[in-house]
Amino acid sequence: MKRKLISVLVSTALVLSLVGCASADEVAATAAAAAEEAAPAVEEAAEAVEEAAADVEEAAEPSGELPRVCVVYSGNLGDKSYNDSCNMGSEKAVADFGIELKSLEGTTGEEWEANLVSACEDGYDLVICSSSNFEEYLKEHASEYPDTKFAIIDTTVEAPNVASISFAQNQGSFLAGAAAAMFTQKADIPGVNEDHVIGWVGGMDIPVLHDFYIGYEQGAKYIDPDIQILQAFAGAWNDPLKGKELTLAQYDQGADIVMNVASGTGTGILEAAAEADKYAIGVDLNQDNDQPGHVLTSMMKRVDTACYLIIESVVNGTFEGGSTQYLSLANDGVSLTDFSVMREHLGDKFPEDIVEKIDELTQKVKDGEIVVENYEGFGPSK
Amino acid sequence: MMKVIIDNFSNIFNITLIYATFRSAVPIIFAALCAAITQQADILNIATEGIMLIGGFAAVTVSYFTGSWFLGVLTAMLLGAVIAMIMAVGHIRYNADICGIGMGINLFAVAFTRFLLKAVYNTNGAFSDPSIKPIPRVNIPFIASIPVIGDIFNNWTVTEWFVLILIAFLQFLFYKTVWGLRLRAVGQFPEATKTAGINVTMMKYEAMLISGVVGGLAGAHLSLGYSVQFVDNMTNNRGFMGVAAMYFGGANPILTSIGCLLFGLADSIGNRLQAYGIPSQFVLMMPYIVTVVVLAISMAIKLSTNRRKESSLTTAAVAEEAGS
Repeated sequence: MKRKLISVLVSTALVLSLVGCASADEVAATAAAAAEEAAPAVEEAAEAVEEAAADVEEAAEPSGELPRVCVVYSGNLGDKSYNDSCNMGSEKAVADFGIELKSLEGTTGEEWEANLVSACEDGYDLVICSSSNFEEYLKEHASEYPDTKFAIIDTTVEAPNVASISFAQNQGSFLAGAAAAMFTQKADIPGVNEDHVIGWVGGMDIPVLHDFYIGYEQGAKYIDPDIQILQAFAGAWNDPLKGKELTLAQYDQGADIVMNVASGTGTGILEAAAEADKYAIGVDLNQDNDQPGHVLTSMMKRVDTACYLIIESVVNGTFEGGSTQYLSLANDGVSLTDFSVMREHLGDKFPEDIVEKIDELTQKVKDGEIVVENYEGFGPSK
Repeated sequence: MMKVIIDNFSNIFNITLIYATFRSAVPIIFAALCAAITQQADILNIATEGIMLIGGFAAVTVSYFTGSWFLGVLTAMLLGAVIAMIMAVGHIRYNADICGIGMGINLFAVAFTRFLLKAVYNTNGAFSDPSIKPIPRVNIPFIASIPVIGDIFNNWTVTEWFVLILIAFLQFLFYKTVWGLRLRAVGQFPEATKTAGINVTMMKYEAMLISGVVGGLAGAHLSLGYSVQFVDNMTNNRGFMGVAAMYFGGANPILTSIGCLLFGLADSIGNRLQAYGIPSQFVLMMPYIVTVVVLAISMAIKLSTNRRKESSLTTAAVAEEAGS
């Protein structure tokens, strides 16, 4: 009897310790740390935000009480990608306006919904849904909290108290695809084979990633109509091991460069590139230095700008529910990095013609001479 | 789907598939061996998952701070042993249900490593850093130059070679040594074994200890060999798949490993199929479908053999009765 009692007590203790750890109290300090960690890659990003903000700043003196802001994430901070970028924007807003910021992370649908609802219940003035994973939950709950201001990045939710900001990731991916298609032809670069095959590995199979893919495909085929593109989804934002396996599988099938569109899963994609001595394209943040010499370029998506602009609009009282914004190549919402890390590593083998071609294509897309296709439901609002 | 497979057959089933299969199977093989050792002593070590996870974290941490992959692996194995001993005391000394303790360890491991990730590295989700020293790869120049052999065997990590040795060693240990005979006796007829003067309790402790060491090694391979990082819940059910493979192989190391290779093959083919437009949701489901199918088949075989044994026993008993 006594023994049984002890074993029951021990298992209870184990279960309790679990519950203690899981309850998401861990979040507050994360934000600063993650920002610090990613800082070198991002300083330049921050500067750009500053510029964008500079003209507004002087006009707007923060009026009245400072808003309390909560950002809910799909996936974790520390992904050196999408979420970290978003966090940088909100951290910058903290530094500039002194707002109160809370970040809630979650990796499953249940956690996302729970975090969203708890942020609303806690009475935050502004709740930012960092990704399109929140679309359905926000549609459901936005009307239940009419006094809360909501914003969603990467998709559009139509409601009187929701502001939406989306990106022309198809345009950025078009350039990435073109760069990849040219790169796979340079068989004199070590690790590049004769086959004209390129790869693409995404996180979760959601519409916004198809908008990436459509642009990537169009860009690649613009350079080489016969190119073969391998596509795969890891099914998660936080599974680098899966990302690594998928990427190695694509290398095994003849690809020599793979684009990463996978948030936290992407660290595995870049690791695979280094391990197999092949190449990858980074995403969201400047990832050129994550595996130096194996990342040709990164398609930067300025989630930080989006996040900052939203918080700023609330601080200034210019927040507009029901509005939509579209950040594209033309207004620096998306862009490629300048290839400098790769140029340094390849030395005189570096194919300068890629950079020239990308500059030319960038101009053509900006001028509307090339129209990049959109996935259904994306693109500038009419 | 068949058309896609046929059209791209040479791309999907090329020579690199062999290593890809082995590579993704090795973490599961380690886990399965961890479970097989205790299963021989009739203890279901369901905590394989948790031991791996803690081992993986320890390996990354020690490698990161000391710069020595070997110390990392050693620490992981040691910690695995410690956890297994805690379980052994709970189960053998205090008679607690092994599945209960095992699940407790698994849940604890997920939460505890998540907490440590935050406490030690101040990050959530994943930790990777250039100063983590990985388990080295064995590069054999003369093998690399042979066309097919080079593609398959070159550049394995040390632990990938070691798993082959471990399988052979355990096979020998279980079926060719006195210790192995006693271990199996403990698992199958504990009362009879006790009567024969063998210390059953001691045997069980020894099995748990070795199992813990192997489990720790499984984790170290996952975080320092298979990849070079620690990710929240990175085992991702590999421990449970190992337990499933152990059932498939009836705790026989070689058969168990074959079960793991089946999982690896399903996973690798799946990874390649996605590239040709087969829905990712379907492909990602494949390893789990294979788990269910493999278990169902092995259980069906087990049931039919059991039934045959039973029926021969009853006929013998009936004959005896008739004779008396």
